[in-house]
Amino acid sequence: MLSRSVASAVSQVSSSTSSLLPNSKQLFSFKTLSGYRSSSFCGGSIRKINHKPLRMTSSSMTPRAMASKQLENADQLIDSVETFIFDCDGVIWKGDKLIEGVPETLDMLRAKGKRLVFVTNNSTKSRKQYGKKFETLGLNVNEEEIFASSFAAAAYLQSINFPKDKKVYVIGEEGILKELELAGFQYLGGPDDGKKQIELKPGFLMEHEHDVGAVVVGFDRYFNYYKIQYGTLCIRENPGCLFIATNRDAVTHLTDAQEWAGGGSMVGALVGSTQREPLVVGKPSTFMMDYLADKFGIQKSQICMVGDRLDTDILFGQNGGCKTLLVLSGVTSISMLESPDNKIQPDFYTSKISDFLSPKAATV
Amino acid sequence: MAPQLLSSRTFKSLFDSVDTFLFDCDGVIWKGETLIDGVSQTIDLIRSKGKNVVFVTNNSVKSRRQYAEKFRSLGLSSVTQDEIFSSSFAAAMYLKFNNFPKDKKVYVIGGEGVLEELQIAGFTGLGGPEDGEKKAQWKSNCLFEHDKSVICVGLDPNINYYKLQYGTLCVRENPGCLFIATNRDAVGHMTDLQEWPGAGCMVAAMCGSTEREPIVVGKPSSFMMDFLLQKFGTDSSRMCMVGDRLDTDILFGQNAGCKTLLVLTGVTSESDLLEKGNKIEPDYYTRTVSDITKLMDSPSK
Repeated sequence: MLSRSVASAVSQVSSSTSSLLPNSKQLFSFKTLSGYRSSSFCGGSIRKINHKPLRMTSSSMTPRAMASKQLENADQLIDSVETFIFDCDGVIWKGDKLIEGVPETLDMLRAKGKRLVFVTNNSTKSRKQYGKKFETLGLNVNEEEIFASSFAAAAYLQSINFPKDKKVYVIGEEGILKELELAGFQYLGGPDDGKKQIELKPGFLMEHEHDVGAVVVGFDRYFNYYKIQYGTLCIRENPGCLFIATNRDAVTHLTDAQEWAGGGSMVGALVGSTQREPLVVGKPSTFMMDYLADKFGIQKSQICMVGDRLDTDILFGQNGGCKTLLVLSGVTSISMLESPDNKIQPDFYTSKISDFLSPKAATV
Repeated sequence: MAPQLLSSRTFKSLFDSVDTFLFDCDGVIWKGETLIDGVSQTIDLIRSKGKNVVFVTNNSVKSRRQYAEKFRSLGLSSVTQDEIFSSSFAAAMYLKFNNFPKDKKVYVIGGEGVLEELQIAGFTGLGGPEDGEKKAQWKSNCLFEHDKSVICVGLDPNINYYKLQYGTLCVRENPGCLFIATNRDAVGHMTDLQEWPGAGCMVAAMCGSTEREPIVVGKPSSFMMDFLLQKFGTDSSRMCMVGDRLDTDILFGQNAGCKTLLVLTGVTSESDLLEKGNKIEPDYYTRTVSDITKLMDSPSK
């Protein structure tokens, strides 16, 4: 599942994706976490960041022969890194319910001077809307610390200088629309197209706008045949039209009770009809990692990625050269981790992030 | 050998070497609801020369009975239900031949055709077009029920999140649940004017969420061919598969050792066929099925 066509991804990315500028760390200046100044990122004057081509596979990483270790010395891990990147679904919350012990854990890490960043593949909300969700759950998190795949899609288009006179067709929810709007891009589609019906009758021709230069596909509860056809027509018939996926997660925790079909389903549908592979901006692609390392001026070896999903969160961390911690409070169980079919071994695993509060040997 | 354009010389040798013509439907016989020119006369002519005619379609929206009605409404009343092999029928036959228990239920992401064929074969199929009206509820503590043992996925213009979720949960959580696909065609001529996403789209959506590959009963899988060969007691080398799609129709014919004839009235153009990247080469190709009528009457050079 991980061998997305990197070659085609690279060939489609414009020539502005050379390696990071040597002084790119200076692009955004930050004070220490407790008093940092917000960047002018959201919609204002945006500095162009030259991104490496989207990397998806683990070809660049050292093979991890060692099995994952249960986290026994949390303090040691905490002291060894400067930044924690947290996934959200299954790590911080499940559906709309906060996972036990999360607020105290985040407060403790901040008190120790750690930078906290939240990277979620869930594209239904914008960063601003996620900020509100954190607030509603009683968590002290700033919008600028949140990186959702909805934001990543807009940031990616900015990074390749996607022309502002071209449009973006969105198969996805409000979060993507809001982020595109903030970044100054014109868009079509979104949830409203969920109401559109088609009738396959003789003489019926579905038209599509020829100035759509990108189709962005993410998790979409209002998915239907109209949208699939619209996106398919744009990708197949508009020359150079990009096919971008926010993420390809197979399932997601929409509610705390069970898993729900994820963005991987909608993206799969478009792959099925276009027979093209998308550029993926969400985990495990390193796009968001490169972006935030650049933005905050952090070294990846000083980061610990904490997530509940092996093929997105942990692979994301490994591809980025970070330490990785798997929590079992989400989609992955211990038997899945230890299964002989599993090839992805995080450095550590533990039951939930509040295990950080008991520095020695948390029980799993 | 490179595909040969059908000429009066090559046509004669092809025609004499086969007893049965297998025709795909979308893009060969019709486009949407519109009959392709000259098809009716050609089918009659082939029959009059003592050859058998069979129709093999990946489109699972209709049952064999409904397809016979479609043929009739387009003026091809000689075509009977027994000559039609749709992937909807194939799905039901797959379950029958594998002795799938009749007390277990099938969830259908697809059209009425699949539901009808399942019922005829004695199975209980649920879902289908009416689930296109259903909306998933994602409330806290509200569990989405899912108790089916087979998910059958085909072309579904009424696809929605409810169906994707239903199918996903069954495949991921019900032990031994089968994931069957009628076919995986990427696009097709659902209307005469343009191509539309095919079953390949719905199947890929389900692969994306279940992380599993399906059992495919339609072309190019050999299931329908094995069924046909057994039913007609004939040799595949005495059959010619006529279709418009390389990766289903032509591959289906080649895999079984049939002769293959590509027509250009559907999804494949001459440049698609002749381009360097194409790996699937039919024995012959021609513009349209009615070329058979023209070539039958012209003297061979």
